[in-house]
Amino acid sequence: MFLSYLLGWLPRIGKPIAAFLSNPPEWVLVALAIAIPIGFVMAVFPGIFAYTTLVERKALGRIQNRIGPNRVGRWGILQPIADGVKLLTKEDIVPRRADKFVHFLAPVIAVIPSVLLFSVVPVGMGLVPVDLNIGILFAFAVSTASVLALFMGGWASRNKFSLLGAMRAVAQVVSYEVPMVLAAVAVVMVVGSLSTVRIAQAQSGGILNITNWFVFRPWGLVGFVLFTIGAMAESARTPFDIPEAESEIIAGYHTEYSGFKFALFQLGEYLASIAMAGITVTMFLGGYNGPGSGPGFLGGLISMFWFFAKLAFMIVITIWIRGTWPRVRVDQLMGFAWKVLLPMSIVNIVAVGFWHYLTIRPIAWLLTTSWLVAWFIVLSKLAATEKFAPRTYRYAS
Amino acid sequence: MSIPLGYYLMLSAFLFAIGLCGALSRKNAIIVLIGIEIMFNAGILNFVVFWHYKYFAVLTAQMFAIFAISIAAAESAVGLALVIAVYRYYRSVDVDQMTSLKG
Amino acid sequence: MDTIFWILSIITIIGAVMAITLRNLIHCVLSLILFFLGIAGHYFLLRADFLGAVQVLIYIGAVAVLMLFAIMLTRHVTGDEGPREVLGGKWWAGMGTAVIIAGLLWAIIRKDQIAQALPAGVAKTSVAEIGKALVGDWVVPFEAMAVLLTAALIGAVVIALEEVIRKR
Repeated sequence: MFLSYLLGWLPRIGKPIAAFLSNPPEWVLVALAIAIPIGFVMAVFPGIFAYTTLVERKALGRIQNRIGPNRVGRWGILQPIADGVKLLTKEDIVPRRADKFVHFLAPVIAVIPSVLLFSVVPVGMGLVPVDLNIGILFAFAVSTASVLALFMGGWASRNKFSLLGAMRAVAQVVSYEVPMVLAAVAVVMVVGSLSTVRIAQAQSGGILNITNWFVFRPWGLVGFVLFTIGAMAESARTPFDIPEAESEIIAGYHTEYSGFKFALFQLGEYLASIAMAGITVTMFLGGYNGPGSGPGFLGGLISMFWFFAKLAFMIVITIWIRGTWPRVRVDQLMGFAWKVLLPMSIVNIVAVGFWHYLTIRPIAWLLTTSWLVAWFIVLSKLAATEKFAPRTYRYAS
Repeated sequence: MSIPLGYYLMLSAFLFAIGLCGALSRKNAIIVLIGIEIMFNAGILNFVVFWHYKYFAVLTAQMFAIFAISIAAAESAVGLALVIAVYRYYRSVDVDQMTSLKG
Repeated sequence: MDTIFWILSIITIIGAVMAITLRNLIHCVLSLILFFLGIAGHYFLLRADFLGAVQVLIYIGAVAVLMLFAIMLTRHVTGDEGPREVLGGKWWAGMGTAVIIAGLLWAIIRKDQIAQALPAGVAKTSVAEIGKALVGDWVVPFEAMAVLLTAALIGAVVIALEEVIRKR
């Protein structure tokens, strides 16, 4: 009885709803156009961050011959949630003589550029939150703003170790930005546009949509290596984690932060690392291109799958390098950036020039490859200042 | 956009005056340099405003703005290096104390 | 669009005023960063996208960090706050002068024909054109700028490094 009464009402409310859905007013469309990309970015990428922390701990555990966290949920699946709850409920300690306003603002400024970076990364064909025609320049401009958070965190704590950590962190980040940006310039020269969507589109085509990826060109491979090294140094990941090395300088610029502010620093650092991995994928590894990606609904879904697969590959490479390589010493760090990476990136730009002007492809391949290999050998001989004695092994008997 | 040109000119004049006031009335050398940076930015904003309102077919104003931003950055780098070098000698950045040319 | 102009203008002016009146030098530089962000917002509103991105990249990414380093190197390591020192306490004189001059400027500008102009068309930035102009018509200023920046780089390093070399 009640059901038939309800069903009687349906046509009366159904008609306005149908009219609304088939021809919505303007403001609804604008609101949806703003809310859907923001919702996607805010839901997906922090989720990837949470499970990246879990994957990192388990992978580092396996590399170090132990199992990672496995107590919270089967295989430690719920560990990120436990970590989040723990950090949210910790007491928020602020040193008495610290600069309260700057101390509060530093973690916020650490997160904002990392989230803004996701707005120019195309996650699928035609799926980018904002299609700027200065996409790559915007990404670099925003990532240089994250340097301020390091400095503010170190200064506001009124702690000599924090300040030293902050100075070293800022010097490292600013030095490694230069070869990173110059490596991206090589890609921009070939594509002819700063827009990330055009860069991803320029890598489509070829056999199975794979052979046009820029990493399979000589200048692209060198640029990929330079950009990955620069990106790892930007987000202070090992082997460049002097700023936050636990055995060196307590915890560097985030020594005096506890609870949620520490969580925000970690969030900012990991999100920057994931966003830089996303930009690396877009510029060098073909973005969303892969076998089966194309326009249309099914092609779009497949292109999203390929993007996230390549993003996962880059994140796994970063974690792997973190687990296996030792930390670079602080004086070797700057020398490496200015004396090896920067000349190599300039040489790479010249190689792109050769590639563009030699229209006969085999000659272009030969000349570019030999130019790059020759300069690599010259630079590595010039930069090797320490002589190593042959290695001797002593085994426990 | 229906903002008349005059509003932008007033804004840039305000900012220039604020920068000038800061550069003249504080005795810390670094705040003088901050005032100079504010004045630079107000001037470059003026160029871009006129580019938008009348001369957008030509690239002159944007070129000028790019060069001006680069020169301002170079000038602030050299200025701050000077402040650091002077601090080493006088142990303060107070412009009232830097009264002798010797040393 | 108009409300964005007013909001950005208020942010810019507040940033500039706080940058020259705050006591703590680090807070001054932080409000200077707010000022730079406001100016970058104005550039984006005036459809000069490349300039807006360049403003953020150079001013906030480099000049502000440079000022923070200079502040850090010219004080005691843990930071001190200097005494307040604006105009010897007679701030009302400066404020009165500012209001009078602003009123005069406003009265002059509002009747001027040029100042009442609205945009004559739609401005658009093309980064490709800027690139071509930089190596085409404007190659001499571009190369001169490169020489100037190299000279500034070497000069700044030499000036700031002098003490260390002399002590040896």
